[in-house]
Amino acid sequence: MTLWDATLAALLLLVSGDRELWGIVGVSLSVTLRAMLVATPLGIAAGYLLATVAFPGRRLLIVLTQGLLASPTVVVGLILYLLLSRQGVFGELQLLFTQTAMIIGQVLIALPVLIAFSLSAIQGADPRARETAQALGASAPRIAWTLLLEVRFALMAAVCSAFGRIVSEIGCALMVGGNIAGVTRNMPTAIALETSKGDFAQGIALGIVLLLVALGINSAFAFFQGEARR
Amino acid sequence: MSLLTVRALVRSLGQRRLLAIDELCLSAGESCVLTGANGSGKSTLLRILAGIDAPDAGTGCFDGRPFGWSPYPDWLRKQVTYVHQQPYVFHSSVIDNVAYGLRARGVPRAERARRVEEALSWARLHHLLDSPPARLSGGEKQRLALARAWVLRPRLLLLDEPTASLDADSRRQTIELLRTFADAGTTAIIACHDRDVIELPAMRRLDLVDGRIITD
Ligand SMILES: Nc1ncnc2c1ncn2[C@@H]1O[C@H](COP(=O)(O)OP(=O)(O)OP(=O)(O)O)[C@@H](O)[C@H]1O
Ligand SMILES: [Mg+2]
Repeated sequence: MTLWDATLAALLLLVSGDRELWGIVGVSLSVTLRAMLVATPLGIAAGYLLATVAFPGRRLLIVLTQGLLASPTVVVGLILYLLLSRQGVFGELQLLFTQTAMIIGQVLIALPVLIAFSLSAIQGADPRARETAQALGASAPRIAWTLLLEVRFALMAAVCSAFGRIVSEIGCALMVGGNIAGVTRNMPTAIALETSKGDFAQGIALGIVLLLVALGINSAFAFFQGEARR
Repeated sequence: MSLLTVRALVRSLGQRRLLAIDELCLSAGESCVLTGANGSGKSTLLRILAGIDAPDAGTGCFDGRPFGWSPYPDWLRKQVTYVHQQPYVFHSSVIDNVAYGLRARGVPRAERARRVEEALSWARLHHLLDSPPARLSGGEKQRLALARAWVLRPRLLLLDEPTASLDADSRRQTIELLRTFADAGTTAIIACHDRDVIELPAMRRLDLVDGRIITD
């Protein structure tokens, strides 16, 4: 099969609504969306606390978060694998090679991105925003909500950035997901493993979808960052 | 009856005394104009009274109830409102800005709408309802901030140079409002260089020099 034929076959797979192909896309998006659903509130709350509350060890935590921003996802996967494997601390839970394990891994990878971005978003807010809310009699939770709303575009940029990082990561998904067909096989693992088995068309089709997702998410990121700077 | 008393209020920055006030007493319904050169500590004093900044030392009493700054109590926040020298507007809508403090106080929707409406027409903001607040001009932001504070009818109103960036009409109108504040028995401290404000009748005058009150 030539590359040309494979590409044609890939396009055919995409437009014909191939079950297996779109199933893989579905696994990817559903795992990543659920991971974002968990990670986003946690990350933004942690970023807010780091930005606004003084406590011992705060600087260290900030440096640590920034250090973890570029942590190799395969190492996150390795650590999670060791924890979840039968001999691991959480072995009892039998989570290895499930979507839950993939979600946990993606949450761990997304968190530093969300924390670091929302921290800098909140630190970058005009100090008068907080002062004005205070002066108008807002309670602490209302002040927090107001500040988050004031930097909403920067926070949306953080969410896009985290989404982009985890939807395309392969190291962790492979380690703790295991590329099980119909269950934990997502776009990156399918591309990496199935292509080498000779399934070029599917690899190319998934590559196109993943590229479009990344393109969309990065455009959204750029848009929100532009809005945040206005 | 004294509404606000603060004693031995000190705020330093390294070796420098930004503020050193032995005693400041305000009667209920009294309006004061706070004058003093640039950097004499006017904003510093207002921000401390509003609980935005804390002094290094000092005690306070509001309406017979003692308070301090660590932390500045929530019950007092609901009675005192401060308007920045250069007001900040929330990036929501003009109406949401005006309604902000009423929401924080849990004022029911119908009453909130009525009071917001009243404040909007007072501040002549109706033609700006659809503009993004961040795009308003300096004077329009100032008027929005005044409306946002005025709508709350606070017991103590702290205004930091409210007429500084206003055009002649808005200035006149704001001064008119300051008069209605005084008539309505609102206690206010207004940091100001504006002759017309200083010379309003029944205005007490506080003059700050290097963080100390000299005329009283
Ligand atoms: N957080 C701070 N850090 C450093 N200096 C400060 C701080 N807050 C106030 N100051 C200093 O305290 C002094 C008093 O400032 P303040 O803003 O109260 O003056 P002001 O009387 O309001 O002046 P203006 O008429 O210009 O508004 C100034 O010299 C200012 O530089
Ligand atoms: Mg000032």
